[in-house]
Amino acid sequence: MSVLDFARGPAFHVAIVIFVFGICWRLVGIYLLRWHPDYSRPRRGGLIGGGVHSMVMRSLPPHELEKHIVFQHVSGYGWHLAYFAAFLLFGPHIPFIRQFLGFGWPTLPNAWILALAAIALTLLLVLLIRRMVNPVLRALSTSDDYISSLLTMLPLITGIAASAHLQLLGVRYETLLGVHLLTVCALLIWFPFGKLMHLFLTFPARFQAGVLLQRKGVEA
Amino acid sequence: MNATTLDAFRGGLAGLAARAPRSTLTDSERLARAKQVMHRRLGASDAAYLETCLHCGMCAEACHFYVATGDAKYTPVEKVTPLRRVYHREVGPLRWLYRLVTRDITAAELESFQELVFDSCTECGRCDLMCPMGIQISPMINIMREALTAAELAPAEFRALKAEQAATRKDLGVGRSEIAALAAQISAAGVNVPVDAARADILYFVTPLDVQLFPDSLRSAARIFNRLNASWTVLGASAELIGTGESSAEVDIPRIVAEAEQRGAKLVILPECGHAYPRMRFEAANVMGRALAFEVLSISEYIGRQITDGKLKLKPIPGKEQVTYHDPCKIGRGGGVFAEPRAAVKALGLELREMESHGRTGYCCAGGAGQFLIDRAQRLRQRAFEIKMHEADDTGAKTVVTACNSCRYNFLTGARDANWHTEVKSLLELVGNQLTD
Repeated sequence: MSVLDFARGPAFHVAIVIFVFGICWRLVGIYLLRWHPDYSRPRRGGLIGGGVHSMVMRSLPPHELEKHIVFQHVSGYGWHLAYFAAFLLFGPHIPFIRQFLGFGWPTLPNAWILALAAIALTLLLVLLIRRMVNPVLRALSTSDDYISSLLTMLPLITGIAASAHLQLLGVRYETLLGVHLLTVCALLIWFPFGKLMHLFLTFPARFQAGVLLQRKGVEA
Repeated sequence: MNATTLDAFRGGLAGLAARAPRSTLTDSERLARAKQVMHRRLGASDAAYLETCLHCGMCAEACHFYVATGDAKYTPVEKVTPLRRVYHREVGPLRWLYRLVTRDITAAELESFQELVFDSCTECGRCDLMCPMGIQISPMINIMREALTAAELAPAEFRALKAEQAATRKDLGVGRSEIAALAAQISAAGVNVPVDAARADILYFVTPLDVQLFPDSLRSAARIFNRLNASWTVLGASAELIGTGESSAEVDIPRIVAEAEQRGAKLVILPECGHAYPRMRFEAANVMGRALAFEVLSISEYIGRQITDGKLKLKPIPGKEQVTYHDPCKIGRGGGVFAEPRAAVKALGLELREMESHGRTGYCCAGGAGQFLIDRAQRLRQRAFEIKMHEADDTGAKTVVTACNSCRYNFLTGARDANWHTEVKSLLELVGNQLTD
């Protein structure tokens, strides 16, 4: 069995099972804990509206807060957008996605995708270095932060190498593609165990905060 | 209030720590007590927050203690590390994994967090607004505080106050008799102050700071209630029941609720006190496990509503003086009371100059949540207070108005230490002095 066959076959299937089961396990484990009811009289109604407002507006904090975090905000949202655009709008990914969803969508030229991937990778590297040198981030960081950063970068690196058909150390394209898929498998397997879960947790947490602050009559 | 009174009160606080009782708990007892609190209070909402944290560090930029010092240890979410570890190892869905790769917390580690959750956090909630994930850090700091208190690891000042409250039923030297004496003194000067009336629509609280430092606070509230012909009474036991150094779990909320309900109170009004307001406004119903039969308001909220409704008329202060308004964190960001005090400032004929950070994003005065009690934290408090001072200076106003007597005390002592000449005034007292004839 070639590296590509292994990656496309058993490795990917195992990764998907761990990814799906792990996400469900973690979400159920969090949200099935007891909820403390709030009997206090809300200062404002429209609690659901407050939650939805917070889901959107948390991305746009007021100026007096935002001015201290401009770099984190721009770089953070920047790499996410570039990363997902490179993943979702790359031509060779679409047939793969179509297998699961049954439909596809238009793509961007490869040169654009390479540029987006390079932007995402550069920003990720800058943020990783910042994490290692900034005293606040260094103190807060755990192995999860470094593992998650590395596993997020690897599909980008191997993807760039494969799509550019780089003959790295004489390795064949099929092998590079297999390695790229294996890094995706590693990302999927790690996903439920680390901070990457914020893909599913961020908006519920923002909603929760919005409801709480709406009760108190404070814009979240 | 003159400088001598302020200095005497401050001197009294400085001596508190020496009166703290010695703890006899063993390390394992401390740990067990702290964990018991954490397990009791951790629920799905805190779990979701703890699981969502990206360790981005943005919360540091919202914290006045970090902004003032640049010291990474003051990063808000870092202050809940023991809670996070207990959650991941003993509560969370991946606890089987965390037990393999992390170690348990120790009593010594818990003790090392005393400075971080008491000296360098005022539970002001500014970090709660900054977090891009929506994580509410200050409620988790509150769990940490309660856990440390249960483990007898609260600062000595808090333990001393708690012991004195248990022994004397007085808080900072103020109990039922001191409140009754102040009420009698004000009544003798012609402003009727009923205490512990059997029936009243409004139950009004008096805090130790009102009695010890700001007696005009009660006089002004009495003038306002009497002008509105309100049926009201002071709760004689209010100082001992609210307890300056007590955590939420220690305040005798069922007794306060019973006192209000026995009198048929429709309103419980808290004085200018950021400590008492969130306890009664939001926590009391949850402690009781039911909705309260009465509404809870802060006095600034009550005044603002009466002015807006046209029931309370004020004589404007001549000269259109420029003032800035400091939102007490627990009443503003913690309770949504922003418009009402500003309506009162406007009715007083004052020109309001807002600080850059005001309303929901306002900086704390740096002494809230009992931080002002901690003697060793004075220098840190002062550095953080200076952020507020500079923001107030930038408005050009020569007077800061506020609606919390703890904030007022912090402003007065901070101004004194910094040789800052801006005046600090109480909204309640300004209103009480400008009632129409």
